[in-house]
Amino acid sequence: MKKAKRNAAIVILSSDDDENFSLKSNFTQPKSKSVSVPRKNPKRAKTAPLSASCPRSSKEASVFDEMKRFCEEFDDDFTGTKVSAGLQSKDDMWVDKHKPHFLEELAVHKKKVEEVKTWFEERLKAAMDNNNVLLVAGPSGVGKTATIHAIASHLGATIWEWTTPTPTVWSEHLHNSNSGLQYKSKLDEFEGFVERARKYGLTSPSLKGSHASVILLIDDLPVVNGRVAYERLQRCLKLLVQLVCIPTAIVITNYDKDDSADFSTRCWEELLVSLHSAGACKVNFNPVTVNSIKKTLTTICRKEKREVGADMIELIAKASGGDIRHAITSLQYLCLKLHRRPILPSKERLDTVDCLDDVFCLPFGKDESLSLFHALGKFLHNKRESEHTTASDRDAFLLKEKFVRFPLKMDAPEVVLCQAHGQARTLSDFLHENVLDFLNEESIDDAWLVASYLSDADFLLSSLNGQSRDFGAENIIQSAAASVAARGVLFGNAHPVSSRWHAVRRPKLWEVEQSSRRNKCQMLSQRGDLYNSLTISNKIVMATEFRPALKWLGYRASESFQADSMVEDDSDSTCLHENKLDISDDEIEDC
Amino acid sequence: MLWVDKYRPKTLDKVIVHQDVAQNLQKLVSEGDCPHLLFYGPSGSGKKTLIMALLRQIFGPSADKVKVENKIWKVDAGKRTIDVELTTLSSTHHVELNPSDAGFQDRYVVQEIIKEMAKNRPIDTKGKKGFKVLVLNEVDKLSREAQHSLRRTMEKYSASCRLILCSNSSSKVTEAVRSRCLNVRINAPMEEEIVNVLEFIAKKEGLQLPQGFAACIAEKSNRNLRRAVLTFETCRVQQYPFTNNQAIPPMDWEQYVSEIASDIMKEQSPKRLFEVRGKLYELLTNCIPPEIILKRLLFELLKKLDSELKHEVSHWAAHYEHRMRLGQKAIFHLEAFVAKFMSIYKSFLISTFG
Repeated sequence: MKKAKRNAAIVILSSDDDENFSLKSNFTQPKSKSVSVPRKNPKRAKTAPLSASCPRSSKEASVFDEMKRFCEEFDDDFTGTKVSAGLQSKDDMWVDKHKPHFLEELAVHKKKVEEVKTWFEERLKAAMDNNNVLLVAGPSGVGKTATIHAIASHLGATIWEWTTPTPTVWSEHLHNSNSGLQYKSKLDEFEGFVERARKYGLTSPSLKGSHASVILLIDDLPVVNGRVAYERLQRCLKLLVQLVCIPTAIVITNYDKDDSADFSTRCWEELLVSLHSAGACKVNFNPVTVNSIKKTLTTICRKEKREVGADMIELIAKASGGDIRHAITSLQYLCLKLHRRPILPSKERLDTVDCLDDVFCLPFGKDESLSLFHALGKFLHNKRESEHTTASDRDAFLLKEKFVRFPLKMDAPEVVLCQAHGQARTLSDFLHENVLDFLNEESIDDAWLVASYLSDADFLLSSLNGQSRDFGAENIIQSAAASVAARGVLFGNAHPVSSRWHAVRRPKLWEVEQSSRRNKCQMLSQRGDLYNSLTISNKIVMATEFRPALKWLGYRASESFQADSMVEDDSDSTCLHENKLDISDDEIEDC
Repeated sequence: MLWVDKYRPKTLDKVIVHQDVAQNLQKLVSEGDCPHLLFYGPSGSGKKTLIMALLRQIFGPSADKVKVENKIWKVDAGKRTIDVELTTLSSTHHVELNPSDAGFQDRYVVQEIIKEMAKNRPIDTKGKKGFKVLVLNEVDKLSREAQHSLRRTMEKYSASCRLILCSNSSSKVTEAVRSRCLNVRINAPMEEEIVNVLEFIAKKEGLQLPQGFAACIAEKSNRNLRRAVLTFETCRVQQYPFTNNQAIPPMDWEQYVSEIASDIMKEQSPKRLFEVRGKLYELLTNCIPPEIILKRLLFELLKKLDSELKHEVSHWAAHYEHRMRLGQKAIFHLEAFVAKFMSIYKSFLISTFG
C-alpha cells in the first residue's frame, strides 16, 4: 500500500512538467490578469518575464526553479535507468518488482516457510473449530507479509486483507463535521471489520472466490495510544482469536531493538503474549541471514543485468542487519550510482570502501540501534584490549600510571549512548544499581572512583532543575551527564573481573523513592490526628523522633494505632507488588 | 495525648526552660508593636512552644482554637495555574504553614498564598490588634527564590501582617530576611534544665523519678527536650518503677545506622558496599532525611576510628553532604561517601597491619 503511494508521488513529479506547460498556454494570454491569479504558475513567470511591477512572483519563480531542478535531479536519480518518464510502472521499485511470488524465491528460512505453509494447509483443508489464528512476529523487513502472500498464491487462496483506512486530517474532519459526517475512529473501524470477519466472514459480499480458500490477513494493526484504546484492541483481537473460522494471520512487527521503555513497544509484546495465551499459534521470524540476502541480491542483479561486485553485495547484506527490504533498496540505489558515474571503476570504489571498513560511511545501511540493556552491558563489562596499540602510543601524552587504561574494545561511549538513545537519568540509575557486581572484590578504590563519578553525574543532572526553558543547554547537560556516568564507570572499573554472566537489575532506587514518597504522604496525613498538637510538626522531627517513639508506645499502649499501622502495612506491600515492572527480569548475556 | 503536647507550656509565664526569652517576649507584646520575628535554634529547643505561647499572649485564648485544613491553592503563575496542596493550621488570628512542603513550588506558595492572606486584613473591632500573624516553619528549607519573594512580601504587607519565621539554622536564611526580623536565638536547653522539666512532668503524672535516671535520659537526649520527653514516656511504658540503670530504648533508625557503621568497619569490599546500600535504602524508605543519615553515620564511624583518620573522613563527609544538597539522588552521594570511607580505611589497615 505504502509503496504504491510512494510510486504515485514520483509519477506526479515527473508529469508535472507537462501539466505546467499546458497551463502556461492557458494563462499567458491574459497578461493583465496574471497578478490576480491565485495559483501561481512559476513556469509562466520564467518563460514570459513579467514587468517590474511584479517582482514577488518572479522571485518565487526562481526558488521554484531551484526546487524543480532539484526534483528533476532526484527524479533522474531514481528513474534514470528508465528510457522515459512515461513508461514508469508500478514495479519501479525493485522491492515491488522482485517481490517473491513463489515459495522458492523467499529469502526466509525454508523450515520456517514450511511451518507456516503446513499450518495454512491444515486449516484450509478442514476448518478447525478454534485455533485459527497465526501470529507472525519479527523485526521489520524479514519477509513476514511476503511469506504469507507467497504461500497464499501457492495454495491458491485469496487473501482478504484489512486495509487501513486513510487517516483523517484535522481540516478534513472540520469540513466533514460541517457537512454532518461524523468522525469515526480508526479503532472503531477496525473493530467493525473484525466483527464482520468473525461473524459473517464467509458470506461477506466483498469476498470473491471459493469458500475454502480464503486467508484473512491483518497486517497493519491500528496504532493505539494509551491504556484504554489498547485494551479495546486487545479485547477485540482476543475475540477474533477465539471465534474466527477462517485461517487468519496477524502480522506484528517487533520493535524490541528500540527504546524498551516506550509504551507502544511494550504493548505490542504484551499483545503478542496475551493473544498467544488465548490460543493463537505463534511463529517468530528471525532476521534474514546474510547469505540468503546475498543470494537474493545476486539473483536480482542477474535479472536486472547489472554488474555488482560480490564484495559490494556482501557489504550491503551485512549493513542491512537482516532487513531484506532495506537491502534491496540499497542495492537499487547503489546501481543507480554506479550507472551514473561510470568513470569510477568499481574496483577502486570497493577498495576505498574496504579500507575505511566502517558501516557508517556507506551511503546506505541501517544505523545500528542498541537497546539500553546492550549499552549497559557494554559499559558494565568494560571489555578492553590486553595491550596498548601502537597507534595510541604515538600521540599519547604522559599519564601517571594510575590513570592509564587499556583501549576500549568498543566505540566511544558517546557513540554507544547515541545508539541506545537512553535518558541520562535512566542510564545513571541503571549503572548505579548494577555496577558493583562488575567490580573486582578486592578493589574498593575502584568502587569509590565509580561512585564519585556517578555522584558527579547526579550533580550535573540536578542542575537541570532550575526549570530553564533553554533546551539547548539542557541537551548539553544531559549528554554531558550521561557521558560522565558512562565514562566514569568505564574508567573507574580499573580491574574488571573476567566476564561472567550477570543479570541486569532494575534500579531499586525507583521503588525506594516511590515508597518513601508514599510513607511521607501517610505521615503528613497522620500529622493532624495522631500528633494532636497545636502546631504543625515538621517532617524530619516526625520521622526521626515521633515515629520511633510512637512505635515503642504504640505496641503497648494503644491497640488501635497498632491495628491501623498493620492495615497500612498490608496495603503497602500490595502496592509494591503491583509496581514491580517488567524490566526486572530483563537479562542480558555477556556481550 | 503525648506528654510532649500535654505538658507544653501554654503561656509565656509558665515556660520552664527559656524564661529570659519569655520575659522579653512578654515585654515586647505589652509595648504593643510586635516586629517580624525569626526564631532559630536547634531542633527540640522550644521554638514552637514559645511561638504558640507568644500568640496566646497577643490574642488571648482564642489563639488556641485552631483548625487543620488541607487546602489546594490555585496559584496563577504567568500563563498557567499551578495547584499547590498545603496543610495549614489556622485560628482567627494566625495561620501556620510549612511552605517547604510544597517542594520546588515553594516560591509560588510564598508569593501568592502569603500575599493573599496578608491582604485579607482582619476587621479591627473592639480595639483588637489589626494584624494577622503568619507562622512559617522551616524557613531554612525554602529555596533562594522563595526567600527573595518572602522579603518583598514582608515589606509590602508589613502594615497588615506580622511574620513569625522559624528555622533550625539562621545561616540558611538570607541576610535580607534576617535583617528585617528581630532574631531570637533559642539555645538548646542545658541538661539540668531538661532534668527540671522531666521532674516537673513526673510530679504531674505522680511518678517516682530517680535523679540518676533523669540525668541519664537528659544525657541521651542530646539536649533535645522533645526527645527527652518522648524517651521518658517510652521508658514509662517499658518499665515503670524506674531504676537508675534502666535501659533506654534507642531510636530504631539510630540503631540501624550504628549497625551500618559496624558493617562498614568489618569489611571493605564492593559486595559489602552493596549490602550497605540496601540498608541505606531501608532508612530512606522510612523518610529519614539523608543529611541526618550521613551525619549520624559519620558520628558512629568517628567513634570507632583512629584519630589520624578523623580529619580526612570528616572532610569527605562534608564534601558529600554538600554534593547531596546540590544533587537530587541522595543515595549516589551517600554511597560515594561510604565507598570513600572504605577505601581510606582499607589502605589505613594495610599500611598499619601490613
